[in-house]
Amino acid sequence: MKRILAAALAALLLVSSFAGCSGGKAENGELVLYTWEGMFPQEVLDAFTEETGIEVTYSNFDTDETMLAKLEAAKGGDYDLVIADDYIIETAIQEGLVQELDTSKLENYGSINPVYQGQFFDPENKYTVPYGAGVQTIVYDPSLVDIEIKGYADLWDESLKDNVGVIDSYRVIDGMALKVLGESYNTEDTATIEAAGDKLLELAPNIRLIKDNNTQDDLLSGEVGAAVLYTSMVTLAKMTNPDLKVVFPEEGIGFGVMAQFIPSDAPNAENAYKFIDYILQPEVSAQCFEYLGYYCTNKDAEQYISEEYRDFLTLPEGIDMENMEMIENISAEAVEVHNRVYTEFKSACGQ
Amino acid sequence: MEQGTSRLKRKQARGQFLMALPLILFTVLFIVGPIVYMVVLSFLTRGETWGVVPEFTLKNYGDITQPVYLQTFGQSLRLAVISTLLVIALGYPFGYFMAKLGPKWKKRTMLLLMIPFWTSSLIRLYGWIIIFRAGGVLDTVLQGLHITEEPLKLLYTYPAVVVGMIYALLPFMIFAVYSSAEKLDFSLVEAARDLGASPMKAFLTVSLKLTLPGLLSGVVLTFVPSMGLFFIADILGGNKVVLVGNVIQEQLMKAHNWPFAAALSVVLLVLTTVIIWLYRKLSGVKDLEGIV
Repeated sequence: MKRILAAALAALLLVSSFAGCSGGKAENGELVLYTWEGMFPQEVLDAFTEETGIEVTYSNFDTDETMLAKLEAAKGGDYDLVIADDYIIETAIQEGLVQELDTSKLENYGSINPVYQGQFFDPENKYTVPYGAGVQTIVYDPSLVDIEIKGYADLWDESLKDNVGVIDSYRVIDGMALKVLGESYNTEDTATIEAAGDKLLELAPNIRLIKDNNTQDDLLSGEVGAAVLYTSMVTLAKMTNPDLKVVFPEEGIGFGVMAQFIPSDAPNAENAYKFIDYILQPEVSAQCFEYLGYYCTNKDAEQYISEEYRDFLTLPEGIDMENMEMIENISAEAVEVHNRVYTEFKSACGQ
Repeated sequence: MEQGTSRLKRKQARGQFLMALPLILFTVLFIVGPIVYMVVLSFLTRGETWGVVPEFTLKNYGDITQPVYLQTFGQSLRLAVISTLLVIALGYPFGYFMAKLGPKWKKRTMLLLMIPFWTSSLIRLYGWIIIFRAGGVLDTVLQGLHITEEPLKLLYTYPAVVVGMIYALLPFMIFAVYSSAEKLDFSLVEAARDLGASPMKAFLTVSLKLTLPGLLSGVVLTFVPSMGLFFIADILGGNKVVLVGNVIQEQLMKAHNWPFAAALSVVLLVLTTVIIWLYRKLSGVKDLEGIV
């Protein structure tokens, strides 16, 4: 899922996998990396081993929750470096499963784009280093849509009847309605969430599909004219059809950050520092983000990202960060209301 | 002498028990175990951010009574009834006449019915997307023949889901009816005709009656799974037809409310059991081709 530019890099991968065979055994111990599949190009991992003599053991999980469960079972041990989503990291930190970073060990620490730092899950940047960010965006095909879409509110326009596709995430979709109502993504006030649910029911006639996998295909095939997509999908859509328009909603953008952290009882913490620092080198970072297809969280790396990808991997200049808000963990009660109104919305879409 | 036979009997019983042991273990481990786990889970409280807290509650069952969740049960039943009726309409004649074919064609038809099972049902469903989607196979043909002018919106609709359900479930009905109809002695039908019954009457009183167990087991085989086939509604319905299965999946994977998902599953399980019990009661058929 995360392997976005895989197709373009398949050939490179093939070559590098042969190169990998010739690599010698590790002299300086190992690094157990725990994250989703396909987060790093193989040649970057190989080059790291070549340079440092540290062998990388790549262990992967499907969902953040699996990661947390494993980490809980291991009491913060077993793994040296984890990359996961913001909200689960907040929980992991609260549970004491994450160790504080000694940033003096990271020479390239200054290259991180501060926009992605100091967020809710790690407000003082004590535990994490961001690695990639996603922004929920509206993408539309001007040839299939009669209006100019500027924000979420435009999706409610009658001309878009049965012509909109959205990702299947209750927080993002309910959040859209909350934003249109001028509320926060993270309100825990159940009446406000209910109001957002009512607002969503008005959107239902415009919704043609709700799905999480390859939603960009439906935009490309003309099944829908407009769609609310995850960053990885936007990248794929734009690469296939450059005429598509990408809109950062005027109500304010929200993004999700993936970040690296060292578990509290990591067996090879020193190696984890070396890896984080290696990845933070601007040229290496650029290589990673071109492969990953998510927003580049390393500001010094931006100049190394090839022209072709720069548009999708960096935020446009002058984007309004004032209204930026991330989706955070909220109370169980609020989550239940969210789920109920979202199920009502989905049922209404099928009527 | 008497002692000898009872010892033999005991020995036999022990032998039978040992033979059945793997089956018993399997049933306990993979069927009884998960069900008990699910029932227990359904009475626990969800954790504040994630996971489960071992505190007894009835809240999960209370939550199901909210209109939106009751509606999903209604929606599931409706889709199951529609699909089952259509599957009967298509599958019963198919299975019935298949049993009347000569041995060579019987084999060939059977093979044709089996071949699709060599691929994953998920992949076959994606095949329907290629057929249904805008600019897809069906759309191109219809427009090529000038039957329609505008691109049709076929995918992500209720009928698309119904087609997917029929496609997935039809073979089970055919096999069930076929196995029943094959045992049917057609000379009985001929006898009824000789004794003056109209073709319709002969069919209703003889053929239908004798193939009823097959038909009913076909109904069970289609109705029960259709209550839970959430991925068809997902893939062909664009997630807009919300069934109990979809809610359970969402509560598990996205909302992380495992106890509520468990409670929904328990209610679904009870509902299906009641429906099967009703079938048996109403039809008076005790042996549904050995299925229930």
